[in-house]
Amino acid sequence: MEKRTFCKTFFKNKPAVIGLFGVLLIALSGILAPFIVPYPTGYGTEILEPPSAEHWFGTDGLGLDVFAQVVWGARTSLYVSLMAVLVAAVIGIPAGLLSGYKKGIIGSAIDAVIDIFLTLPVLPLMIVIAAIVGSSINNVAIVIGLFSWPSLARVTRNSTMKISEMQFIEAARCLGIPSRKILFKHILLNIVGPVLVNLTLVMATAVLSESSLSFLGLGDPTTWSWGTILKKAWDAGAVIDTPNPWWWWFFTSFSIMVYVICFNLLGNGINDALNPKTRE
Amino acid sequence: MGEKILEVRDLTKYFEVSNGLFRKKKYVHAVEKVSFDVYKSETLGIVGESGSGKSTLGRVLLKLIKQTSGKVFYNGQDIMQLNSKEFGKIRRELQMVFQDPYASLNPRIKIGDSIAEPLIANCISTNYAEAKKKVYELLDLVGLQPESYERYPYEFSGGQRQRISIARALVLEPKILVCDEAVSALDVSVQAQILNLFNSLKKKLDLTYLFISHDLSVVKHISDRIMVMYLGEIMELATTDQIFSKTYHPYTEALISAIPDPAERGRKKRIILEGDITSPIDPPPGCRFSGRCFKTMEICKYQHPELIEVEPGHFVRCHLYSERKGDC
Repeated sequence: MEKRTFCKTFFKNKPAVIGLFGVLLIALSGILAPFIVPYPTGYGTEILEPPSAEHWFGTDGLGLDVFAQVVWGARTSLYVSLMAVLVAAVIGIPAGLLSGYKKGIIGSAIDAVIDIFLTLPVLPLMIVIAAIVGSSINNVAIVIGLFSWPSLARVTRNSTMKISEMQFIEAARCLGIPSRKILFKHILLNIVGPVLVNLTLVMATAVLSESSLSFLGLGDPTTWSWGTILKKAWDAGAVIDTPNPWWWWFFTSFSIMVYVICFNLLGNGINDALNPKTRE
Repeated sequence: MGEKILEVRDLTKYFEVSNGLFRKKKYVHAVEKVSFDVYKSETLGIVGESGSGKSTLGRVLLKLIKQTSGKVFYNGQDIMQLNSKEFGKIRRELQMVFQDPYASLNPRIKIGDSIAEPLIANCISTNYAEAKKKVYELLDLVGLQPESYERYPYEFSGGQRQRISIARALVLEPKILVCDEAVSALDVSVQAQILNLFNSLKKKLDLTYLFISHDLSVVKHISDRIMVMYLGEIMELATTDQIFSKTYHPYTEALISAIPDPAERGRKKRIILEGDITSPIDPPPGCRFSGRCFKTMEICKYQHPELIEVEPGHFVRCHLYSERKGDC
């Protein structure tokens, strides 16, 4: 029943398939970047060329190929969001499981911490912390992860609370299965769906945060990321200049948008396919 | 009767109901000062309608819920005082079969692994190969094919799932098995199969059962002794023969009259109890059954009756049989 109906419903859902396709496209271009275009570095001779057969997305103020920047930027964005998701998962999932399963002080305390983190103004704090710890890709990723775990923990907690009431959890306790195993095997196996959906959403927001930080100059200036491209375009005045070299900033912004939308579509698709009510 | 394996003394469980921070706290009296003995190799049936506290009693006995007060001696040792680590070794001897076969098995775990897991967790088997052998023996014992090992719960019917649950409960070789409404979610024909399985397992493995059910006809079929509960209290406790040959308590009378009997259809007089079970939240002082009793007297409304032994081994909680009967 499980896997086959899941795939069937998922692939019947057109937006979900589009999302999956977009995610795969971005992931492949990020992973295979070295085989697609050379790393954009140094200076070019053709400055501010509009899109052409040679330069698909045109060239920037230094004469570098924008397409190459976007492809290599995808690599960075993918890396940062994966790292951020990893950090968020490592903190958020255990926190959510514990707070949902343990009643009493431990559960309420973790829940309070989650609540506090959810009310924090995330972006200003990220800016401050990123400025303090310095701009390297890993630092940025970890900072984003540290601020993304509460929503994941909340989703995990709510699903855990529902599963904890099931008889098979009581049965497991009765049979002397240790709490650690109940949490990370018996409960986690049953909440994979909502957790997975939330992880894709964290992927989407992580790339937005990364772009924001890089745009503000808090990213890693030595690597290409979508935020860095936008920052360079902004610094060169490309966004407000007339005549406007629109290709410089448009394709990058468009990539960010596609990335976020595709991950959201994928998440919704997984959610719908897992939910028996939306299955036909 | 054999030796006592379980002695329950004044076991009480209240659940706190809080409606708001500053309101007075209220308590659901789920189980109130319950005392009884369980003898080795017997089947003690526990009956009562929903809300009578019978399931809570079963869970408190196995320490799945913490008791409010009271003692439970298992082979002379008070298990309510043990912490979870000390109880760990005893836990395997007290196991439970749950009510809903659709909810008591983890849907994402193969049933073979579900049964094998407790063996590893309790350090009875050191590796899965050893555990697997044991699981095959158990599957055979409860009447399932060995191929079932690799299947998931959704591939089985309700009756088969209950067999799996029983196999899982038996894997730790328990001495006492608490069956909480273990057949009430099943069809009548399947109920009979599972009840027969319980009976044959009892003989093979020398088990002691605490058989919790709302269905007196099921309990009658399987039990040596029957305990009738109402709103957290024992109303009547006697051997099955005693309770059916000479019923004392009006509540038990009403329950017995509700058992369908095809031979006497239409001729039997049924006692219909009015209304619903009284709210267990801070119950009134008198007899808990007085609100619905068809033999209620003045004294029942203000004085709480005690559990008294009217015949050897036959306990009743009712003013009709108390010595103070003449007073009113």
